Amino acid sequence: MSTVFERGGVPTQADFHAAISHRANCWYTACLRITRSQELAEDAVQDALLNAWHKRRQYTHDAQLETWIHRIAINSALQLMRQQKPNRFTPLDGDYRDESASAETRQINAEFATRLDRACAHLSEMERICFTLKHLEEWRLKEIADELDASVDAVKQAVFRAVMKLRTRMTGLERSES
Amino acid sequence: MNDEQLILYYYADGLSKTERRRIEAALAADPALQSRYDALRRELDGFGDASADAPAAPEHLVARWQAGIDRAAQLERQTERGPARVLHLASFGWGAAITGALALGIGIGVYLPSRNVPDVSVTPLPAIVEVAPSATTGDAFTRGLQAHFRESRENIGGLAVEDSEARRLLILHIVQQNRLFARAATENQSPELSRVLRAFEPILVRLADEDLAPEEAQRLQAQLLFELNVMLTKMNRPPSDRSESI
Repeated sequence: MSTVFERGGVPTQADFHAAISHRANCWYTACLRITRSQELAEDAVQDALLNAWHKRRQYTHDAQLETWIHRIAINSALQLMRQQKPNRFTPLDGDYRDESASAETRQINAEFATRLDRACAHLSEMERICFTLKHLEEWRLKEIADELDASVDAVKQAVFRAVMKLRTRMTGLERSES
Repeated sequence: MNDEQLILYYYADGLSKTERRRIEAALAADPALQSRYDALRRELDGFGDASADAPAAPEHLVARWQAGIDRAAQLERQTERGPARVLHLASFGWGAAITGALALGIGIGVYLPSRNVPDVSVTPLPAIVEVAPSATTGDAFTRGLQAHFRESRENIGGLAVEDSEARRLLILHIVQQNRLFARAATENQSPELSRVLRAFEPILVRLADEDLAPEEAQRLQAQLLFELNVMLTKMNRPPSDRSESI
């Protein structure tokens, strides 16, 4: 069966169902990484899907439908975090919360991924979001800065600090686990 | 050459062409620097590889997302079919959800057999009729839910549909509150009530859309008011009149 990306036109209900079946895990994970909250990640995906559905006539086929929804989901996650706490993205070093006890966020099977996830819990919110958007979502620095209403330099610094902390944490974890 | 520059070089973003060329030249001229960069690149590549192993979204969430699209599509089809059938079909949709809620002991229904359905396409928005809280209505959760419905009804009733930004902010607030009650219902072992509450979302999210035409916003506003009135009426019935209690 051809996808809406291949055949063109407006995405249908069936296209959305197929996209959810194929990529819901990926959207959920991306939102989970940004929010570190299962509830917010769940809501972000829900918001993204409903918004994408209502705006599906604006889908331009520049990317797969799944990719288009993925981007909307990331924006929804950021928006939900802003609603929770309007000045959320202040680049402070000490505002992390360790949610390592959460069961569903512990589903990452690979040992390395688990360690990375654990290490990410020690990043500040600004660092975690900038690292996630830059490294995992491959956004441009300018896009991140615009989205977070921050300067490009602030984003660079956040990414840099995140990488340095992760390298330190990962090395330390490797040592402690070996 | 510091690590910050090498990290920006890795990301191919955030350095000018001149800066990139300078780093390339330095890497070519200095094997120690090149090996330091290679080690950094391996580590950063590793971060990405590790993240590729995504945890699965719980099945009930995937089902909920699929259902959300179905409800949104249904809502849209109802709109396209015209005003005469809009409320009829809308009532069917809500009725189906509520029937499940009643059958499983939730005690809230939407379908009222003898109700007077306002023709929202030609009449003004329905007047808000105050439904006093019933002394017999149950626990804190029920009272909280009633308060949420009443507050939502008042806010939606007073909504200026032409002000899209104000409309969006208000509706997003209601969506958030609705989700809290939906989650509380789930935790109270009332999945059907949770489903009923979540069935509001496609309409609410649609109403929050900044691009929505005022006429469509008014129609959705009327539909929500109608459904909220029905919910409140049902909740304020004496327990003996309900199938179940919440």
